[in-house]
Amino acid sequence: MKDLNEMQMGALSEMGNIGAGNAATALSQLLNIKIDIKVPHVRVVPIEKTDDWFDRADVKIAIYLRVMGEAPGKALFLMSPQSGQFLAKTLLSRDKSPDFDKDEMACSAIMEVGNVLVSSFLVALTNFSGILMQSSIPAMSMDMLGAILQGIFLDNDEVGDTVLIIDTEFSGTSDIEGLFLFLPDGDALEKLLGVFGL
Amino acid sequence: MNKVLVGMGDFKISKVPDTLMTIGLGSCLGVCIFDQSAKVAGMAHIMLPTSRYMPHNNPMKYADTCLSMMLNEIDKVGGNRLRLKAKIAGGAQMFATHDDISAMHIGEKNMVAVSAELKKYGIPIVSQDVGGNVGRTITFHIATSELHIKTARSDNFKVI
Repeated sequence: MKDLNEMQMGALSEMGNIGAGNAATALSQLLNIKIDIKVPHVRVVPIEKTDDWFDRADVKIAIYLRVMGEAPGKALFLMSPQSGQFLAKTLLSRDKSPDFDKDEMACSAIMEVGNVLVSSFLVALTNFSGILMQSSIPAMSMDMLGAILQGIFLDNDEVGDTVLIIDTEFSGTSDIEGLFLFLPDGDALEKLLGVFGL
Repeated sequence: MNKVLVGMGDFKISKVPDTLMTIGLGSCLGVCIFDQSAKVAGMAHIMLPTSRYMPHNNPMKYADTCLSMMLNEIDKVGGNRLRLKAKIAGGAQMFATHDDISAMHIGEKNMVAVSAELKKYGIPIVSQDVGGNVGRTITFHIATSELHIKTARSDNFKVI
């Protein structure tokens, strides 16, 4: 993948914006609270350079889905354990923060949040670009970010070369910062950009 | 004493009193090869089993190419091949998926490849902490040949 020019980055930012906006609406409906979203920050980073962007030792909750269709790849939603606790408590109407290591119900709730976020993101992209993108069922992990990313990068023995990072912040009754990551398989990113004639 | 940090798909060699460290091993495998008498050691952060399909890529990513490179470097700093031993950690499966389409057993494949490679050079694996579904941060103390393992689930170290 060559370096992207300004037009291409602009197009990706717009896609990030539309996708994250749709995801925020879906989250708002799911939780039944008002959710605002900040304009996401979109970056394209070579896989080797991801260590410059992330703290490998940072503990995060990750919900991972494979993307199928015309622009396949791997999609990931990352959030802090605090955000995860808040979401699980809200969804399950609980007062106590769950222990994700033992609480299957809480994990399932969080996976559903990730599923809704990523799917609605992809639906927005599909509507916008006309390129069909569908997601698999979600998988979840709470661990060191470095280990999580490795699991994703190496899934299917494939190592792509770029990561599309969409940095978002949802603000509602409690702030939920989240990151969408998309790791395009092969030329999926070029395909998306092709829609714009870029 | 220096803390030598080993990045993903890289290896580093050092001597006593240094420590070698790699952060956030998931399905990757951390391989420490050391000479306890000469007090030299190397640590590799291996990502994939074989470079066969991608011969032009960074050779330090792969079990087959990385270990031979690391052994040459260990020779240069005075390690004796006959005394070398190995400790390994990592090779986890980070996502327990319900679908078997994405056969995420890369961690296992890495372990098989590394064991075979070490066997080829006659280097015994004296201890290991592998598999499972947890990420690991590992630190090898060259002075004592201890491998300290930390996971996100616990504040304590495990020493192997």
